[in-house]
Amino acid sequence: MIYLDSAATTMEKPPTVARATAWAMTHMASPGRGGHRAGMRAADTLFELRDTAAQLFDVPSPDRVVLTYNATHAINLAIHALVRPGDTVLISGYEHNAVTRPLCARKDITLRVAQAPVFDQAGMLEAFRRELERGVDVVICTHVSNVFGFILPIEELAQLCREKGVPLLVDASQSAGGLPVSLSGWGAAYVAMPGHKGLYGPQGTGLLLCGEELPAPLLYGGTGSESKNQAMPQVLPDRLEAGTQNVAGAAGLLAGLRFVRQKGIARIGAYEHCLCSRMMDALEEIEGVRVFRGNEAQSGVCSITVEGMDCEEVGSWLACHGVGVRAGLHCAPLAHQTAGTLDTGTVRLSFSVFNTTQQVHTVAGLIRQMVRCH
Amino acid sequence: MVYYLIVCRSLTYAQRGVRLLERAGISAYLVRAPRLIAQAGCAYCVKVSSRWLERALQLLRGEHLNPRGVYQQLEHGEYEEVEV
Repeated sequence: MIYLDSAATTMEKPPTVARATAWAMTHMASPGRGGHRAGMRAADTLFELRDTAAQLFDVPSPDRVVLTYNATHAINLAIHALVRPGDTVLISGYEHNAVTRPLCARKDITLRVAQAPVFDQAGMLEAFRRELERGVDVVICTHVSNVFGFILPIEELAQLCREKGVPLLVDASQSAGGLPVSLSGWGAAYVAMPGHKGLYGPQGTGLLLCGEELPAPLLYGGTGSESKNQAMPQVLPDRLEAGTQNVAGAAGLLAGLRFVRQKGIARIGAYEHCLCSRMMDALEEIEGVRVFRGNEAQSGVCSITVEGMDCEEVGSWLACHGVGVRAGLHCAPLAHQTAGTLDTGTVRLSFSVFNTTQQVHTVAGLIRQMVRCH
Repeated sequence: MVYYLIVCRSLTYAQRGVRLLERAGISAYLVRAPRLIAQAGCAYCVKVSSRWLERALQLLRGEHLNPRGVYQQLEHGEYEEVEV
């Protein structure tokens, strides 16, 4: 199978990830719940994970790296901590349901959307600037659109937010591991990311990088610390980590982070961008295929539509020919609405460091054949 | 050898503390806090010898890893809080 759905999850992982995960399942106990060797081994692994993530993403200290079950969990924690009744929350027009659904569930807030055409970074920044002038309490923005690979101008937006004193939550689901992510550099209140995409960890892992505030907990329960106290601890990460952690997942994620660090984020990002560009070059040659292309404003993700074919039909045809892509709305109806593809959906092709140029040629050839036969 | 237990606010703080001290050349161990000194219940400590106590506390405070308490380990499993 040629797997081009890494924006959903990277399926092929470095071999060290599976080894670390399997080893943890039989050699690690619950971290912070005992002083025995198996428990301390788990605790050491979690600390190494926090420490490695802190170094990769410019977090001032490892205790500000909270382990979550995915990016959605991390985003929900951050929204719960940041957004208060009566707040006005500003988001980009490219947010995932992981952001929009928790916000729409809050009936006590005002939600505004900064809109700009896909790949228009300057327009997006201007839209944010305009909305911020009207008064905003919280800004939430994705770093990269999961549908189009559109890289939003997050550094400039972070600077705007700092100038206005507005807390910023960045959804780095599509950028962590492929683009520079810097909690301190951005001065963000929170950065959320999955562990199982560009960081090559197992599914069921995620990270929330926390700024200076002490957040309100979303879940309450045992933390292995201050057990007599019926309030959640006043320190991170304990405050946001109720219940037993996904230790095996964390061990795998640590192996994934080490892989990313060793390869280099810039190198990984450049390679994926290169594969994506080659794919778009080839697909633009095929009559009837519309490629959503943004050049430098695009990561290793692209979307296409095929004239006269439903996107799900394209996805199914490719699946029958051994290619894994994702068709539909990609849990991001707002992004499709902004780009004008809400009624049609798109077919998304997304790359990882394990894809090859040969695979690009094969898939482009198959799509050419599909269009010809249709 | 006289040992001291520096009770930390969390396991992660204790882990940070141990690594910080080790980097400074101080032998430090991460241990679970005995019930008698765990205060709010369930905690972890950094264990150092008397020789390193003062320097260790200095370094920990420098990184805002302020201890919950410092205890001298006595014979027969007893502990005595020390003013620092």
